[in-house]
Amino acid sequence: MKKHPMLKYLKEEGPLGQRMPLILCPGCGSGQILNYTLHAVDRIMNKDKIRKENFLFISGVGCSARLTSHYLNFDSAWTIHGRTLAIATGSLLANPAFKIIVFTGDGDTGSIGGNHFIHACRRNIDVTILCINNGVYGMTGGQVAPTTSVGTITTTTPYGNIEEAFDLCKLAETAGASYVARWTTAHPHQVIKSIMKGLRKKGTAFIEILSQCPVHNKLSPVTMLKKLKESTIQISKEKESSEGETLIGEFCDLDKPEWNESYQKLIDQFDHEEGKS
Amino acid sequence: MSKEMKANNTNKRLHNVHLLKPGEYYLQGSQACIEGAIMAGCRVYGGYPITPASEIMEYASRRLPQVGGRFIQMEDEIASASLLIGASWGGAKALTATSSPGFSLMQEAISIAIMSETPMVIIDVQRPGPGQGYITASQEDVMQARWGHHGEGSIIALAPSSVQEMFDMTIEAFNLSEQWRTPVLVMAEEPVAHMRERLLIPPWNEIEIIDRKKPQDLGIMPENYLPWGHDIVAPMANWGEGYSVNFVGLVHLEDGNITKYGPQMHYDCIERLFRKIEGNVNEIARIETKFLEGCKNLVICYGCVARTAIEAVIEARKEGGLDVGYLRLITLWPFPQERLRDIVGNVNTIFVPEMNLGMMKHPITEALRDRFKKIVSIPSLGVLHSPEYILSKIYEEIR
Repeated sequence: MKKHPMLKYLKEEGPLGQRMPLILCPGCGSGQILNYTLHAVDRIMNKDKIRKENFLFISGVGCSARLTSHYLNFDSAWTIHGRTLAIATGSLLANPAFKIIVFTGDGDTGSIGGNHFIHACRRNIDVTILCINNGVYGMTGGQVAPTTSVGTITTTTPYGNIEEAFDLCKLAETAGASYVARWTTAHPHQVIKSIMKGLRKKGTAFIEILSQCPVHNKLSPVTMLKKLKESTIQISKEKESSEGETLIGEFCDLDKPEWNESYQKLIDQFDHEEGKS
Repeated sequence: MSKEMKANNTNKRLHNVHLLKPGEYYLQGSQACIEGAIMAGCRVYGGYPITPASEIMEYASRRLPQVGGRFIQMEDEIASASLLIGASWGGAKALTATSSPGFSLMQEAISIAIMSETPMVIIDVQRPGPGQGYITASQEDVMQARWGHHGEGSIIALAPSSVQEMFDMTIEAFNLSEQWRTPVLVMAEEPVAHMRERLLIPPWNEIEIIDRKKPQDLGIMPENYLPWGHDIVAPMANWGEGYSVNFVGLVHLEDGNITKYGPQMHYDCIERLFRKIEGNVNEIARIETKFLEGCKNLVICYGCVARTAIEAVIEARKEGGLDVGYLRLITLWPFPQERLRDIVGNVNTIFVPEMNLGMMKHPITEALRDRFKKIVSIPSLGVLHSPEYILSKIYEEIR
């Protein structure tokens, strides 16, 4: 049987045995997103001649975080819920040459790690953030998320959610990210292109990917993908989104000073060579 | 490691020209701490201001770029401690400093740093609590240092008592963290961080600097590399070196595999973390003693309280004619229980002056349970004991 082309970037086995299968539920969108991400990374490696060891994947806790857990054949970190961007900032301070991809969920970005998220965008640190937004806390059993729409019944909103959902792209753009886009798992080519753009962008790239959780929504993956397509509308069509429609596309693509570039100028003020001072 | 990665590695660009030259200085404890960190090779600092620890980060913001390092003021203490994890695995030696309320927020990162065996150093300039408490002297975090993080595993915590030790012990903290691949805490207090006194910088070649053991140096290839194996302290491949390390905070096998979960695997993973520190307590922990030989009574202290306690002991011996010995815990954790039993004979009364209501009195009591008739706590809250106060408490008991 022919192997999937992206399997070369996964660890089917480690020194102490089998690491597969992936933990994700059947029909989950996270596997698709990992596939799109690896395609983008593969293209960047080949086209821009960037070596594999320069890439670093960081995640927090939750379904999205499981993408880095121990399957990736890259340097990766499966860390603390919400703290991914603080950890990514640390790695970039240690070595600004890292190409960092951060996998987050809607909880990591919009709730427990909200503060780290807005400050990473404000500092414009050089990371590509992929937010897998499935509108629910999947790993812990289907509780309400900051991105759950009003009226939705979850395990902690048994009478329906009364809170407004967070627009994470608006938040990222306002906070100062260089590049902001939103797609769904039903837009593979757009997602791959956006990730490539993000990796090439010096600064914070935030890409929200609306994803399906068939388990907690009790719907088939196909139905959910159809719904994702039907409920979204591209910005470029210059039409106001109507009730229940979510805008997708690129929200901003700017060139702004990146944190480490600015800090390097500060370091360069000092004479660092032995013998001169 | 690719050329680009190598060229950008913060840690590799050591700019000795801006290090503090050997000689005598008159510095604040907070400044001595940063000079020690820089001397130890620290090139990343991330922190959040808090009284009475802010002077450390202010000085770091000035000094780090001068030596080619990077300083960042993070959004909170949670981010500051998390940043150290990323910086450390990114190949740098990294530092943060905080005070007690901030230290509480850092426990989450400390816990996963213990689990992932991440070398990093945290300075806690303790202030009184609970809550906002006050902003003065305190030793109220000594138990939080050991037990504040969730879960098992152990910790290394040092207690400096002078400006010189703020320098020396920050270097020692980095050395211990690199040697044992674990977070190390420096439990300072407001007086030690704020006082100014003489600091002696020895010739650079006399300062011992320990760096983490690398798989590359041991001839371990990426395909056979166990990031949490090979030895009680595993060699550490940084990210960016081609070893495809999957950092993990879950119970794991030596190669980071999490699919083989079972009771034995769980026990082996966590018990080693504990044994790595507690099993090497005699190599890690240091004690200072004076007048200990055959003494009838004993003062046990640590941190800046040691400065006034030794005055009281000398006075009690000279003026009071009392047989009082002196013992200072330089390392708080791991607690050197067996070593304490080896050097302390049978005594009448043990005095434990602390800037809390008697915290380290507990492990001392446990260690010396059958060696004393009475153990007396000499507490003080928010203010350093005067020698006279300690002396009066000694006289109350044994004169």
